[in-house]
Amino acid sequence: MIAYQVTAALIGLSIGGSILWLVRKNHLHGPYAIWWIVVAIGVVLLGIFPRVVNPIAAWLGISYPPVLVMVLALAALLVKVLTLDLERTRQEVALRRLAQRIAVLERKDPSSLGDSTG
Amino acid sequence: MQPAPDPNVWVVIPAQNEAASIQSVVARARRCVANVVVVDDASVDQTAVLASLAGAIVLPLCTSLDAWGATQTGIRYARRMGAQVVVTLDADGQHPPEAIPALMEALRGGSFDLLIGSDPARVSHYRHFAWKYLRALTGLAVVDLTSGFRVYNRRALDILIQSEATSLNYQDIGVLMLLRREGLSMCEVPVSMAPRMSGASRVFRSWIKVAAYMLESSIIGLAGRSRA
Repeated sequence: MIAYQVTAALIGLSIGGSILWLVRKNHLHGPYAIWWIVVAIGVVLLGIFPRVVNPIAAWLGISYPPVLVMVLALAALLVKVLTLDLERTRQEVALRRLAQRIAVLERKDPSSLGDSTG
Repeated sequence: MQPAPDPNVWVVIPAQNEAASIQSVVARARRCVANVVVVDDASVDQTAVLASLAGAIVLPLCTSLDAWGATQTGIRYARRMGAQVVVTLDADGQHPPEAIPALMEALRGGSFDLLIGSDPARVSHYRHFAWKYLRALTGLAVVDLTSGFRVYNRRALDILIQSEATSLNYQDIGVLMLLRREGLSMCEVPVSMAPRMSGASRVFRSWIKVAAYMLESSIIGLAGRSRA
């Protein structure tokens, strides 16, 4: 059996490494890259030094420290999903306006029938 | 002799797969109004070609935006072309274009920004029940909430071309509440509507869609009320 620190470090390093690789390959850019790099650093640090949460949890009155990590991770995910939907709403409006503008640009006047086949 | 149609009045017809009825609707509308725009909401049939043959300006959407998104496309275009009044009609032949002159008279004679061609007798008990609920929720004093037969004046058009109206998914409650919030006045005018020549209601197609529509309208209604 291996020590739990090794397991945690392996998980943290593989997740963090994957994120950094994606950022490097330009699959994530701008504000997304910043968010995920912060997540990657957090995951790697917690993976290698899982005990750093113990004093914080004790100070916050949480008797089982891993719960603190899980609650914070869930909260971060919720915020992320919420901002995603906000962004999606904004993009959807932009996409609709764009489709409307293209429709106007591609309009067919009655007199032009037969000029184009599209 | 009939007077020449007013060049500042435009008809906007959103259409999706309405090949069976679009030609006659466009031809009838053109007898009353000079400018008829058909917004083809990504149809897979001959709707766009037939509308063009019937003399309409056709705006082809590359992806379906549903009835309100298509209507807004036509309104944006008409407004850009200088329209002062836009009449919206369904493409399925339910709304008689012959009623447009009477609606225009009512618009000129009254002090309203929006007229709604109304025929509550055409719908089922279920929909009356839904309307009653939405009226109670929104406080809108409109009987025929879902009628797409509407006349908008310039004030209303300038609000409806904004991005805020683009986020709406249905033209009924959302559009009416937006206009009411901006202080515009509306009035219903009785019109006798025909049964659909073709197609089916895009909203009232399945119970799941009805549920989604009711839920979304309720949220818009509640949000609009708290802001008003």
